[in-house]
Amino acid sequence: MIVADIKPFKEIMRLVKNYRKICVIGCGTCVTVCHAGGQKQVSEVAAQLRLAAKLEKKHLEVGEETILRQCEHEFIDSLEGLVQKYDAIVSLGCGIGVQMLAERFPHTRILPGLNTKFMGAPTEPGIFWERCVGCGNCILAETGGFCPVTRCAKGLLNGPCGGSQNGLCEVSPDTPCVWQLIYEQLEAQGMLDTMEAITPPKDWSVGQGGCGPRRLVLEHLVEEEKDKHKIAEKVLTRNDCKK
Amino acid sequence: MAEVKYKSGNAVVVENVINEEAPCVVACPIKQDARDYIQLIARGRFEEALRVVLSKNPFPSTCGRICNHPCETKCRRAKVDEPIAIASLKRFLADGSFSISKPEITSSYSERIAIIGAGPSGLAAANDLAFLGYKCTVFEAQSEAGGMLRFGVPSFRLSRHALDMDINAIMNLGVEIRFNTRIGENIRLGDLLNQGYKAVLIAVGLQKSKMLNIEGAQLNGILTAIPFLYAGSRGEGVKLGKRTLIIGGGAVAMDCARTALRMGCKRVHIACLESRKEMPTTDYEIEEAIHEGAIIHTSLGPKRFLGKDGKVTALETVVCKSVFDNNGRFNPTFVEGSESVIEADTIILAIGQASDLSFLQEQEGIQGKDALSSIQVTRGGTIAADLATLCTNMTGVFASGDVVLGRGTLTEAIGQGKKAALAIHDYLRGIKRKKEEEILPLQELSSTRLQIIKKQGRQRMPTLADEVRLGTYEEVELGFSPALAVKEAQRCMNCGAGAVVNQDICAGCLTCVRVCPYDVPKIAVGDSIAYIGCDCQSCGICVIECPAAAISFKSTYEDWGEAELESALKAHSERSEGAEEPLLLNFYCQYNTFPADEAFGEFAKNVKRVRFQCLAKANPLIFLKAFEKGAKGIFVTVCPQDECRFNNTICWAEKRVKYARGLLEAVGIEGKRLKLISTTPINTDEFIQWADQVTKEAEELCSLKENK
Repeated sequence: MIVADIKPFKEIMRLVKNYRKICVIGCGTCVTVCHAGGQKQVSEVAAQLRLAAKLEKKHLEVGEETILRQCEHEFIDSLEGLVQKYDAIVSLGCGIGVQMLAERFPHTRILPGLNTKFMGAPTEPGIFWERCVGCGNCILAETGGFCPVTRCAKGLLNGPCGGSQNGLCEVSPDTPCVWQLIYEQLEAQGMLDTMEAITPPKDWSVGQGGCGPRRLVLEHLVEEEKDKHKIAEKVLTRNDCKK
Repeated sequence: MAEVKYKSGNAVVVENVINEEAPCVVACPIKQDARDYIQLIARGRFEEALRVVLSKNPFPSTCGRICNHPCETKCRRAKVDEPIAIASLKRFLADGSFSISKPEITSSYSERIAIIGAGPSGLAAANDLAFLGYKCTVFEAQSEAGGMLRFGVPSFRLSRHALDMDINAIMNLGVEIRFNTRIGENIRLGDLLNQGYKAVLIAVGLQKSKMLNIEGAQLNGILTAIPFLYAGSRGEGVKLGKRTLIIGGGAVAMDCARTALRMGCKRVHIACLESRKEMPTTDYEIEEAIHEGAIIHTSLGPKRFLGKDGKVTALETVVCKSVFDNNGRFNPTFVEGSESVIEADTIILAIGQASDLSFLQEQEGIQGKDALSSIQVTRGGTIAADLATLCTNMTGVFASGDVVLGRGTLTEAIGQGKKAALAIHDYLRGIKRKKEEEILPLQELSSTRLQIIKKQGRQRMPTLADEVRLGTYEEVELGFSPALAVKEAQRCMNCGAGAVVNQDICAGCLTCVRVCPYDVPKIAVGDSIAYIGCDCQSCGICVIECPAAAISFKSTYEDWGEAELESALKAHSERSEGAEEPLLLNFYCQYNTFPADEAFGEFAKNVKRVRFQCLAKANPLIFLKAFEKGAKGIFVTVCPQDECRFNNTICWAEKRVKYARGLLEAVGIEGKRLKLISTTPINTDEFIQWADQVTKEAEELCSLKENK
């Protein structure tokens, strides 16, 4: 899942300072699970905004809403009537949600309330760790299910390095050395010989930053040409509106 | 979804999730919402609690005293320590002078209804019919209402004032009672229909005391229970000998023994067929009788009365082997040659009651429309009525209470009266009702929970001192004080009304599973959302921590401090003195504070209190709201860990305060305006010291700059 963290409140205040009617919109999936952008946080941010406005003796109207996923048009569509009522939206979705809202509602300022961090999981209650960078070419089969691309500070494919100390990474004493974990896992599975193979340089072009934004096409679900026209028209209309 | 499966350790547990209710409610013949009124008492909301009681029960004062309370027998808390004192809590509500507005009677129908018998069943029917909009006339053979409650139950268990409170409330609804009017003597049953009554309810109870058909039954000194008890209750002495023997093992026998002791008899014995376990009354009644000096001989059957000069001198008994046969029918067997003698110069028979249906026979010979002679009567001498509608075989004639049940409890009689009222309404209005779905009691607490839930024994009912008791017919039980009632009510586990997950918005994040101190939330097998079962203890932690705000309480009485905060803000805004002083709030846990609440006067005037049913229910939002609405500082007073009502919830209150402080500081409100104090405000001295300390802290806060 996508892990995000709420922005410092001062930054949110700075983002909304020019608006009188704002709505905080949460997302009911990944960022709910990591306690950053679910309905609970929506209510808290909204309450903070009201309180801050009161202390500054300003009038500020703050709405609250949460939808199931901010990364789906169909769910976002339900917000149309609501968004029109506000000068600006603070999205407590991940970066994807913010962009999707911005595309869908070009007339309204869509402001990010979260800092989107990584793809990860809670390893124990309240502690989330990054587990995947989306490199586009998974090598977990060779590394015992532990990802060195994500979890090795140097991104080494043939580790460990000399900085592995007592099973910990020299970068941070809180971080286990992933190559130590890989070694132990392969040893336990009787596959230590795998480590003797040299992994060749990785094709980074399929990863993030390789050649622009990546795209996935599912041919069987792509809409017919005539529908594409409709979509193109839709986009055109939106662009026209922007002018 | 009819059932949920989830894994608990290696086992898969299956829970039903529909048509289930707290066992205390299911066990009650009138389905009294015991849990709901107890939860309201726990919050000090006495008026609302009484309204809940009255919505189902026209005899709160009486039931609060003498109900055999199957709700307590089934209370899930019994397995943890002791059941909740449900009946005593009801009595507390009935006895209090709480002003509640009379519910409005919204309908009005022209049909008049005749009710025969002003006992609990007849009056319960009259009460409900009055609320439905009917005019009822109750025909009562005696000069006072109440039936067996007045003539059979001694005043030391049910004061006549308490009984009158219930009856007066019913009469105040416009119910007419015609006293000294015996059907069959003063007026015939058939006449009622001719006089324009559109329906008749027979609720005459069981009026005749059963006699023993054994040798010597005609001897002087042998009395029956009900006239004896009635005389006692009216303060009329009955001449008793030096040794009184009561025959019978039920509540009436215990009452007779205790009455005989009050009449000055020093040696009171009770002999009954049943073994101690089989005796058909509550342990409490038996223990009270023994406590007051009665001696009980169990498993003894009466063989013959012995006498001299026409006066009884003893009872010859025989050992009873078994009371019931294999089919559970009353069919006692005795041990041959086991005869013994209990000396007694007064013997009181308390072996049960029988019906007197002579007024039905008097209708014989009346022809046509008036013919009522064929109302069916069972072999046991009760009226045969359809158990679903309580109508007899005669159209428009219904029957309820002991005359149908044979031998029932007070609440069974009230329950039947209520059922009859609804049936009469349906009959007159032509309403066809679907059969109600059966509601099952929640399953018992799991063994895991039994080990985790903190033990806390029940509050003891204050009673008359032993040395005073036997010299008076005053009530032995004195009733709970508000402090005792709240303390007792707070033991209630809110079964079946705790946390519930809104499946539409649950994100399956597992937060509830991880934070619950009782290990109740589970992810159902084959599902991705949380399920919170009936063992929920209503600590509220998951409700506050759920990031999707998908969890709430099923019950409506938990408001998470909102109403208290509103009234605190209102009180502050309406103040006249010290208007310039900043508002300071004390968030406190009610579980450990109420008994010393009176000492609250020690606080500074600008300190207002907001109570929570445990501070783990304080949402960070309520802190923000308090400051938004004008509070300048908040003191959170948490109980010490070992005094916490729940498990491990104090750490949650601490975390909450820390978290809320972070939110406030981000907005620019100094963290020290939100303080946490651990305290034990149990006894008043300590509480006042604590209050002083809080006031001092308040002054310190007041000196903070108020420019924001």
